[in-house]
Amino acid sequence: MVRRWIIGLISVLAMIPMLNAIGVELKGEPFVYADWQTFYVKDGLPNDHIFSLKADGDRLWAGTEGGLALYEEGRWTSWTEDDGLPWRVVSGIAVSEKTGEVWLGLFGGGVARFSGGRFDHFTQLNSGLVNDVVYGLTILNDDVWIATTAGTSRYNTVTGEWNIYTEKNAPMDEIWCYNIDSCKETNQVYLAVWGGGVLEYDVAADRWTDHHDPDGEMEIDLYRDDGLIHIITTSVSFIDRILWASTYFGLSRYDGRHWRGYMDHDSGLRSNFINFAKGRSATTVYNCTDKGLSALVDFETDTWVSYYRESDEAESWTAKISIGADTVRTQPVELTLPNHFIITCDFLGDDLWIGTGHGLARASGAGYWPGLKTGKTSLALPGREREAQP
Amino acid sequence: MTRYRTLFIAALFAGLAIGFAFAQDGAQPAPASGTYGDTPKEYVPFGNFTQPYKTFFLTPLEYTGYGRHIPEPEHVDTVRIGFIGPIESTVSVATGGVSHEEPLGVQMLNGARLAIADANRRGGYHGKTPYELMVHNDNGLWGASGSEIVDMVYKEKCWAILGTIDGANSHIAIRVALKCEVPVMNTGDTDPTFIETNIPWVFRCITDDRQMCYLLADFVFKKLKLTRVAALRAGNRYGRMSIDEFRDAAKRLGYPFLEELQYPLGSTDMRPQLERLKALNPEVVVTYGDAQESALVLRQMRDMGMDQWFIGSDRMVSDEFIQLAGDALKAGKVAAGFPFDPTRDDPKWNQFQDAYREKYGESPDQYAAHAYDGMTLVIEAIERAGLNRALIRDQLAAVKTWHGVTGDKVFDAIYTNRSPATLALLEDGRFNILTQDEVFK
Repeated sequence: MVRRWIIGLISVLAMIPMLNAIGVELKGEPFVYADWQTFYVKDGLPNDHIFSLKADGDRLWAGTEGGLALYEEGRWTSWTEDDGLPWRVVSGIAVSEKTGEVWLGLFGGGVARFSGGRFDHFTQLNSGLVNDVVYGLTILNDDVWIATTAGTSRYNTVTGEWNIYTEKNAPMDEIWCYNIDSCKETNQVYLAVWGGGVLEYDVAADRWTDHHDPDGEMEIDLYRDDGLIHIITTSVSFIDRILWASTYFGLSRYDGRHWRGYMDHDSGLRSNFINFAKGRSATTVYNCTDKGLSALVDFETDTWVSYYRESDEAESWTAKISIGADTVRTQPVELTLPNHFIITCDFLGDDLWIGTGHGLARASGAGYWPGLKTGKTSLALPGREREAQP
Repeated sequence: MTRYRTLFIAALFAGLAIGFAFAQDGAQPAPASGTYGDTPKEYVPFGNFTQPYKTFFLTPLEYTGYGRHIPEPEHVDTVRIGFIGPIESTVSVATGGVSHEEPLGVQMLNGARLAIADANRRGGYHGKTPYELMVHNDNGLWGASGSEIVDMVYKEKCWAILGTIDGANSHIAIRVALKCEVPVMNTGDTDPTFIETNIPWVFRCITDDRQMCYLLADFVFKKLKLTRVAALRAGNRYGRMSIDEFRDAAKRLGYPFLEELQYPLGSTDMRPQLERLKALNPEVVVTYGDAQESALVLRQMRDMGMDQWFIGSDRMVSDEFIQLAGDALKAGKVAAGFPFDPTRDDPKWNQFQDAYREKYGESPDQYAAHAYDGMTLVIEAIERAGLNRALIRDQLAAVKTWHGVTGDKVFDAIYTNRSPATLALLEDGRFNILTQDEVFK
């Protein structure tokens, strides 16, 4: 009798890995960027350390530690201090849809407007810019909004008026603005404030809304979905009325009512250290982490695709498809960047661009589909190896 | 058999009860819980109610970038290390329009310079190239520390940076350092949150206000067995952040502050706030602020007949405080946290004090001593790593324990020193430094 019980117990235990494998079946197939092209100084970049990227129609601007670059029709053009760029480190780029002017955030050098081949330079000494250490900028209507290390500045390109937002006139626990986004539809500006969470500014109503980590503690996250994961926010991306906020402690999603938190132990995130997050839709966001790129491809099914190097010695990168933290499979991708510390990304049509500490890469989006493609009958795509994880 | 079992269980319960009673009665420092920051169990956030979903800062921060592959330059004339600290008298927005930190910054600079001089006396980098300190003033104006770091990295090509003291400016500096990928050693900012940002480029060798607050809370609530605490602190970021862990500890022990008031920097009349506190009949007034304001609070307390215990930060432990407080010290009942034990007989510490006095004609304070230690740690890391910022960072991150002029340093997973704080207790008009064992013996 006892022996039968033991055998039965062992049989049940043996089935656990199988149950787990069954539990991570994909609900549909995510698009995996498999075809990549890399760019370095030898290809025309002014520097290999990429700080910022901005898609502009069918062109791509790249801000580097050593200058500005533009990719257009398969060629790079670059500008350095020798060409009139006021400061070498380009940490943010925004393009005016209305005028085509390119606004550059200069890390320690203020802001530059690039128009007609000329750079106009704005600093805290010659303008209303609150600080020369600029982390990001965005354009909403006629205003350029600039996130700096000591507050946010707003410059009206029509009237020339400057406004400054700090703890004096905004709910900034700290004034260390780290990134910024805006949305024409809502007429709002969204600020990632390091140590101050996320702020929303309703331009028409002149009203601020602040979001903080509800537990109020730096060393813990008390409950998973109780609010913003941490107040050390690094970027914010607003799209389809969804707010994505990255931190060095994980990712948060806010739909106006409910928060959802993601960390590396409970999701497909490669790391909690997220330099930058870019929303692609209400259900898709790309996260630039210190250990690769992690895309939440489909919010509803918690389907992720991460791109990373398996090791320093790996010749190319690996893509990992997972449901939450459970790996479904991995596959090699044709990406050879030597390091997966990803600083920034942007979408150029269906293509995906990523910037790292050493090199820039473009992934071809030929055949791209958003979210999940259902009804696929075969997972036996070239190079794919199905692998059930325990 | 049943009878023996009953007796055994009864004896076990009796033993536990006796042990519990002793534990409750004795004045003991709170036991470390093995959690982040050596936080005593009773001070763990929400520890009385639940386990957090995630606890951070328990595993070493990693740097996974490309920096290690950058080749060492073939030649440098000097090996430059940046220094940023409040060394000139400037009015600071970050400190509320008043700057009192220059004396601390000057001591910090002196300590750093002494470490550089010692290294150069040994022959400099690898015995061949002199070290050079690139000195920048942290004027705190409009976040200027960020631009100073940018200059040190891109214009002066510093290999590492030491600084600064003000909490806001330190935070600004390290965010820039993260982007620029340069190691920063902090020796003077005791703000607990400074290090709680997950930046793998930041190190701190001074015991912070988390450790000092835990000790002060233990002293007030367990040693003195007082429960009615009111706070009057500086209205700047230093006052707000540094008192944080003391306030939380009080709350978690069940003795929340009766009141917490603040004063704007530059205030000379604290009486309106003190009148309110006096009406609450506190047993302890706790303050966090610079030496000058802390002395003012104490003087006006005593003038108003308030003879409560006066508890404060390590910035009180200075000649400036003693001089300004004057007769108000006679009543005693003054204590402060302190980041190390300067009374120990340690040849390294004694030698440093002699050298410092010989060079600068005064005794080193905690800012000078920790700057010497921090700069020495940086130089040792450069010697081991070579001229590569990421490798220097790795060498600093590899240091788990280290003995400097300020004693034994114990670095945790996020590279901040967790060696025990000490208590500065006013006796006969001067501060005596007590170790935790001495406080609770």
